[in-house]
Amino acid sequence: MTAPVSDQRRISVGIGQLAISKDARDVLVAYGLGSCVGVSVWDASSHVAGLVHILLPDSEGRHSDGKEPARFADTGIDALIARVAEAGALRMRLLVKLAGGASVLGPANAEKFKIGERNAEAIRDRLKRHGLRPCAEDLGGVKGRTFELHVGVGRTYVRTAASPAIEL
Amino acid sequence: MEQLADTLTDILSRVARDGAARAGRGLTGLMGQEIVIHIPQVRVGTKADACDAVGGPDALVLGSYLSMSGDITGHVMLLFPEARALACVDLMCGQAPGTTLVADEFARSAVGELGNVVGSAFVNALADHTNLILHPSPPSVLHDMAIALVETVYAEILSQGGDVVIIETVFEDQGGQTAGLLMVAPDPNCLDRLRELAA
Repeated sequence: MTAPVSDQRRISVGIGQLAISKDARDVLVAYGLGSCVGVSVWDASSHVAGLVHILLPDSEGRHSDGKEPARFADTGIDALIARVAEAGALRMRLLVKLAGGASVLGPANAEKFKIGERNAEAIRDRLKRHGLRPCAEDLGGVKGRTFELHVGVGRTYVRTAASPAIEL
Repeated sequence: MEQLADTLTDILSRVARDGAARAGRGLTGLMGQEIVIHIPQVRVGTKADACDAVGGPDALVLGSYLSMSGDITGHVMLLFPEARALACVDLMCGQAPGTTLVADEFARSAVGELGNVVGSAFVNALADHTNLILHPSPPSVLHDMAIALVETVYAEILSQGGDVVIIETVFEDQGGQTAGLLMVAPDPNCLDRLRELAA
């Protein structure tokens, strides 16, 4: 169930961070995704939820900094899937959603900065290796997004600086 | 990395001080009153709290981005909390602060000009201190959440590998209030060149 707003606990998931929760009061939030992509997963049976805030497409074999376990799409997705499984989620039941990957530095620079697009592509590829596919996406464009996952009900919302929250 | 940062910090701090003095002169002309830019800190490296200077990660900012090309390449981004940017627009137009309330086309173009003056001042200061030929691009005006812009510049630099060196300059007005955040970041493949010049 959705917790009353006063009981909600908003947990900020910063750049390269990963958060897991099964507490119905929690709202996992990735603030201001620019070229970064937020990936949410939720298992409707166990109510285990996870969110990562991915910065770059490929670790190229580099170890992720302990401070940023989800900096890269490949290692970040692996860590997310492993952590929600440890917490009791069943991989094949996961609902996966993606938001972010915009070109926020203006149309003149959109051709040059393709990291958002590359992030989304790398994330889809990695999910595929785990037998997963996103059921909803809000990607690309020119505006930053804030992406949140309500753990109790598995609902996700996206808002931009110019528009209010819309359910994804 | 520490040694690299030390040598570079030295030259980049000098560039930042000189750039601020030039930008101050440029803005004084633009706004018709004396504008002094204090630089309380020049920070090298990425910091998660960079956005605190402009009101926190979720804060709405108005600013501009310029790319730097020529002998070395890099990025220049100037961000203001939205209300402060609009107050700057009023000063530039000789209006009482509080007159401009929304970031309309006119305000956006004025903010672009502000980015042009401040960004070019820093790029020219860097060029003069290093004897490099550098060109700032025309400004792209930005109106978005602060962290979305800052993380995109981080991502662009980190994706090229190597060390991340970003000068973050926090502007304060004469009342000591934070006015804006300027980020100047050479691309990683240009750091060796800068280090040689700094040595």
